[in-house]
Amino acid sequence: MKSFTRAIALAVGLIVFVGTPALAQERSATRQGFELAPNSGKKILVFRPSISVGAQSTAGMFEPNGEWTEQAKANLQAALAKAQTSLGNAVIVAPEAYGDDAQKLQEHMQLFAAVSDAVIQYQFFVGNRLPTKKRDNKNAVFDWSLGKGVANLPGAKDADYGLFLFTKDAYGSTGRKMLQVFAAFGGISVRSGVHQGYAGLVDLRTGDLLWLNADQEMGGDVRETDGSEKRIHQLLEDFPGSTAPQPQAQPKP
Amino acid sequence: MTKRTALRAAIALAAVATLAAPADAHKLAEKGKAVTVAASNLSVTPTRDWNRLSRKVGKHAENWTVDGEQLDEVTFHAAIEPGEPLMRERSKKKEPLPKFRNDMLLAEVPELLERTYRAGKDARDFQLSESAPGKFLGRDGVTFSYQVTDNDGLIRKGEARAAIVDGKLYLVTFDAPRLHYFDLLAEDARALMASATL
Amino acid sequence: MRTLVVGMGLLLASPAAAQQSALLPPYQGAYQPHGVDEIGLWREYDEDERTLGASSLVVRDEPLSTYLRRVLCDTVGEDRCASVRIYIVRAPIFNASMAPNGTMRVFTGLFLRVRNEAELATILAHEFGHFERRHGLDKFRARRSASDAAAWMALLTSLGPTYQTMQSYQNFQLAVYGGLFRYGRDQEREADRLGIAYLNQSHLQPRSASAVWQHVMEEAEASARAKGLKKPNFRTIAFADSHPPDAERAAYLADLAAPDGPDREDGTERYRTALAPFLPQFLDDQIKLNDFGASDYLIQNLATAGWTATLWLKRGDLYRTRGNPRDLSAAADFYASAVKLDPTLAEAHRGLGLALMKTGRPSEAAASLQTYLSLRPDAVDAGMIKMLIPGDTTK
Repeated sequence: MKSFTRAIALAVGLIVFVGTPALAQERSATRQGFELAPNSGKKILVFRPSISVGAQSTAGMFEPNGEWTEQAKANLQAALAKAQTSLGNAVIVAPEAYGDDAQKLQEHMQLFAAVSDAVIQYQFFVGNRLPTKKRDNKNAVFDWSLGKGVANLPGAKDADYGLFLFTKDAYGSTGRKMLQVFAAFGGISVRSGVHQGYAGLVDLRTGDLLWLNADQEMGGDVRETDGSEKRIHQLLEDFPGSTAPQPQAQPKP
Repeated sequence: MTKRTALRAAIALAAVATLAAPADAHKLAEKGKAVTVAASNLSVTPTRDWNRLSRKVGKHAENWTVDGEQLDEVTFHAAIEPGEPLMRERSKKKEPLPKFRNDMLLAEVPELLERTYRAGKDARDFQLSESAPGKFLGRDGVTFSYQVTDNDGLIRKGEARAAIVDGKLYLVTFDAPRLHYFDLLAEDARALMASATL
Repeated sequence: MRTLVVGMGLLLASPAAAQQSALLPPYQGAYQPHGVDEIGLWREYDEDERTLGASSLVVRDEPLSTYLRRVLCDTVGEDRCASVRIYIVRAPIFNASMAPNGTMRVFTGLFLRVRNEAELATILAHEFGHFERRHGLDKFRARRSASDAAAWMALLTSLGPTYQTMQSYQNFQLAVYGGLFRYGRDQEREADRLGIAYLNQSHLQPRSASAVWQHVMEEAEASARAKGLKKPNFRTIAFADSHPPDAERAAYLADLAAPDGPDREDGTERYRTALAPFLPQFLDDQIKLNDFGASDYLIQNLATAGWTATLWLKRGDLYRTRGNPRDLSAAADFYASAVKLDPTLAEAHRGLGLALMKTGRPSEAAASLQTYLSLRPDAVDAGMIKMLIPGDTTK
């Protein structure tokens, strides 16, 4: 009996400190055959980033926080320009879209979010991979697209590639933190805060997804300047051309 | 450690263990190999590799996908009996889904799908673009196509085949975003539907 | 001197109850946000509005939007309504919301729960009341400074919108819904009082405010009855957590209504005319939710001012799709009433044909379906309907 209770105690301890299983990781992948050498002078069109920063309510619902988002936007945009210039690419901010153009752009943004979701759920991370995507990983194939419609998005004619950025930060609110503490007594782990980010590079002629970085557990507090720089570095980690060319689509175990 | 905390810990361990256990793995449906789907005698032979999703959509339903259900999804509904809904109900009493009826006409099947999407998936718009007689399972059935808007505003195109055999409904649908993905897989989905037999 | 006498006269004329209603605050000019909290909050909502503006869920119909705007401006005044931008969002829920920056969302389900312009004005004025009193900012501040137990409890109960729980992962959905949070009960009461004050000084019937809530309760009862569920207790259900209990609300709104109210118009004809092009679609959205009790109640409620071909048609669809044997006979009657009022209503002929087919009247059925096809030769389902007509050689 004593060993049983000790085993339980050990299990409880593990649960409290280890937390939920690591389904969340960072991964990036590049389309087979794509290379972007540094200082190639490519023009990258940056679409209006979808940046949302808020608090996570006790029940996990998202509450937008205007001040945080505004700060995050400014920080992330500055960090982005700095990062890309150091790579030798030109960054063009996408022009304002109105009316039909705005709707078309939004539909593409939604599709990008859906594609990123699918990549994360079904190709990147262990535990839920689709068999055909597992096979793609083995063959270093990364084949996703937003379709040729991207060529008609505002600003696309003047650029080679399009960059889609999506980050969502929900910082644990007071309530959630308290819930975490209570839950810990019962041996159940509750995550406080959601920090997801996707960055995707798209070929503006074909719509092919050339590169995607997905991170379900991002670091860097985007409410702070250096936190935003860190976040941009994480989002743009392994951006094509940022390191010496490496074998494509490295599958991590 | 007291008995009470041990019990609590055991429950917690069980709870986390179920969370931690990976979902049943998704299976591969290989090109050229016939398989039966949706816990029935409905058999299909794919013309390319598909993935069979492990989640249970309903008693007599099964989802296939190539890239993930967000981007393309074939749903098989097989041997749906009168009084049965197309997919599993969250709450039979509070949120009932539309049911197949024994006097339902083929011409009314698109409406059954539409009502299921709206009541079960919070679809906001559904436009039937065509509904015409067509062969399915080697019998007279209905072929129809539509466009559906989900509650995020994302617009998908859809195509479906259905037939009523021995008083039971057989329905296969293919849904994908109208941007890129529908056109990418429509031919493969049609071939899949055409290969269906009992 | 004269104005003072007139003012006094008005004061003496109003009964004791009206003194409890909120006095309309003086209009202070176009409002701009002050302070870090408010500025930040407006920016977030401005960004949400951008996304909303590009959403495929927005109904972009100029006549309907213009009508809504006119009703709002007539009720709260041109000055005030200049700071509002109205968006009609396709969602089968009874709600309207206003963000602190002036974005007003009217969900299409709302149009089915108001029968006339006075009732519509009630809801719009109520939402405007929240905006005028900057309830959103107060609530946001209250939550931000939460550190004690009471505030934590408020946090726990501050969940999403009333009718549906929402996935909060999709940014776009959030922007379209506007991150609806619940105002506190006192804020709801205050908005009610402001709303009725606006209505009292308009040309519309103020008693309509109370009527809307009465019908909301009756709809909930009808829905529960048809599902075989317990009758809802309007004093304790979750819906009431964020609002004063409906029964209480109906009561005080009736009390606060100006006494000359019943003599005023309610704008039924104007409302019906404005809604007519969209009523079939909004009714469809509701009927296809498979909530028989609520849908039947709503149709009958809308028909209190007179049945129209559309209302008969949709009632027919409702009964035909539930499809019990008695339902099909009833459906046939409803469709028949529809075509009597409007012989060119093709869908009614189609519905009638299908209902007759299933109640053992095949030759009448064939005739109706044939009428449908002649009215709509290029119907999307013409191929399927032709199959149902025996001896039809024109395939």
